[in-house]
Amino acid sequence: MARRRGGRPTRAVVLGALTVAVLLMLAPFALVALNAVKSPADYAARGPMALPQRLHLAGIVDFWFRVDFGEKLVNSFVVSASVAVLAVLVSILNAYALGVGRVRGRTLLLIFFLLANLLPQEALVYPLYHLAKQVGLYDSRLALIIIFTAIQSAFGTYLLSSVYAVFPRELLEAAALDGAGRWRVLWRVVVPVTRPTVSVLFTFFFIWTWNEFFLPLVFLISNDKQTVPVALGVLQGDRLMDATTTSASALLGVAPAVVFFLIFQRTLTRGALAGALK
Amino acid sequence: MFRSKAPVVAGAMLAASLVLAACGADADDGGGGDVLRLWHYEGANSAMGVAWAEAIKQFEASHPGVTVRFEEKGFEQIRQNAGMILNSDEAPDVMEYNKGNASAGLLSKQGLLTDLTTEATARGWADRIGPALQTTSRYDAAGIMGSGTWYGVPNYGEYVMVYYNKDLFARHHVAVPTTFDQFTAAMDTFVKAGVTPLSVGGAEYPAQHVFYELALSRADRAFVERFQLYRGKVDFTGPELSHAANTFADWVAKGYIAKNSAGIKAEDMGTGFTQGRFPMVITGSWWYGRFADEITNFRWGTFLFPGNTLHPGSGGNLWVVPAKAKNKKLAYDFIDITMKPEIQNLLGNSGGVPVAADISQITDPKNRELIDNFGRLTAADGLAFYPDWPVPGYYDVLVAGVQHLINGSRTPQQVLGDLAKPYQDHLSSLGK
Repeated sequence: MARRRGGRPTRAVVLGALTVAVLLMLAPFALVALNAVKSPADYAARGPMALPQRLHLAGIVDFWFRVDFGEKLVNSFVVSASVAVLAVLVSILNAYALGVGRVRGRTLLLIFFLLANLLPQEALVYPLYHLAKQVGLYDSRLALIIIFTAIQSAFGTYLLSSVYAVFPRELLEAAALDGAGRWRVLWRVVVPVTRPTVSVLFTFFFIWTWNEFFLPLVFLISNDKQTVPVALGVLQGDRLMDATTTSASALLGVAPAVVFFLIFQRTLTRGALAGALK
Repeated sequence: MFRSKAPVVAGAMLAASLVLAACGADADDGGGGDVLRLWHYEGANSAMGVAWAEAIKQFEASHPGVTVRFEEKGFEQIRQNAGMILNSDEAPDVMEYNKGNASAGLLSKQGLLTDLTTEATARGWADRIGPALQTTSRYDAAGIMGSGTWYGVPNYGEYVMVYYNKDLFARHHVAVPTTFDQFTAAMDTFVKAGVTPLSVGGAEYPAQHVFYELALSRADRAFVERFQLYRGKVDFTGPELSHAANTFADWVAKGYIAKNSAGIKAEDMGTGFTQGRFPMVITGSWWYGRFADEITNFRWGTFLFPGNTLHPGSGGNLWVVPAKAKNKKLAYDFIDITMKPEIQNLLGNSGGVPVAADISQITDPKNRELIDNFGRLTAADGLAFYPDWPVPGYYDVLVAGVQHLINGSRTPQQVLGDLAKPYQDHLSSLGK
């Protein structure tokens, strides 16, 4: 009988530790799910930890209709998808100039992008508010798309530039010999080769933008333009919280991000492994 | 190796179409007088939500051709953004807003709210809203409440009381206390039986309301005016506040307040009571509707903090008319409807505390008790506001101070010192 590497006790310990970690990670979600399907009276009588006495789905249904959740999903999708597409495009163009093109002063430019990325959003709010008001974009999704395209592409430029800086020169030269101009080289050589990285960026931009709360809260005033996280904020009262409805809304709010993650999960793994295969 | 361009083109087209979709046409909200834009942040089944839904119906009936465009907002969204929204063309015609110096007072000072003085007098709101309730409606040029111009109209009031579990009182043979001594005697009985008498949330607002009740038990109206409206010096080592700090520490020592309360949030304080684990909770009327809906396994009632004539409480949130509102006349008409007896009675019958209801029209005996107590309180000029109002950021100072008292990590004297400093600093920043 062949002995496996790493004896049985080690495997058991690792497995045990991982199980505990997974349970710890899942516990808050379980609690949310538990309270989402509990009636308010049940919650009041038996507290947050008790199992629901019977399945009570009214909280979820009520919340959906109260905030018109379908509309919020569409808004979130429009904003996040637009930002993801545009920010990836801008990042590619910037990184091509900085990483492959070796523009002069690129280190300074990269530091600048990184700094822009590190600025807290609270510091940006007032300037952005006044700018948006001047150009008539306050209370519009377009304002958010522009802002987040800039914010996300600052990070994207930084990351892609370092990937493009080590792009194999031979490939570029071969393409140039074949008679491809810079534009063709970018779209036919550089982007296809680095597609895994670009896909990861796309996925992250989508999820990050989806989860944004503060700037959407400030910029989307009308209810019919609001995104999912802002709609969840409706439930927080001055002195009272509605624990069961809050749980129901949290469940609804987190579900799309999980679904999206599951869809793009393969892309993410491939992107993470892309470097290792070279 | 040159692959198709299709994915790139498709991506660009997707982006373009999404962006175009995002900047779709806005509905126009012109000042043509045919739309009333109304915002509030009360849940649809809360007392205010119910009453205001009916007010909207009545408004539409009495204003044919006018549509009410109502949006339910989040408290946090309004708190964060009111200044920015009201300074833009997106301002609604009428909205609910928080009372107090740091909220309505600040906006009024910035010129973002409409002066309602003429309307309040002409339409009789000023007569129906008593003087103590008017405190939060009127702000002076510096944005300090208590006098000056009308900027807001409250529809409801709120106050802190004692909620008690009738079944637990009966089981331990405790009668409803009417004096401070009876109150402590009742708590002693519970402690002896191994029951912690008070459900207290030390991590949020509830514990400071208990602290303030204790201060008010030794205070008069002049103290409240000094402390809340800066009309004279406040002595933090004086009889009112030192009694509060010492007694609070004493209540912890005697076991009236559990040692672990320092980390308890308001929500858990509430569920501690609804689960029947504590016989009493000292908190505000904003819990009333929820208790009425959700407590099913025991009988309960309320009484005012025994022995006090002054209690934490105030007028509720305000209707304000933004300075940039486009249909102010409609906004005044709407506020007027919310002050009508039918709407006020509906508010009372739904478990709220109306400012101008006809008590004989309140059908539920428990609701009547709630509103009756509030009536007695305002008649005796007993609303003392909340302890965190005088100073911006005082809420966190008070939470920390009271937590020290619960944990015993600082003496009452030290805590009073902690409370005094930011208060005096704020006063000197106001030049008083």
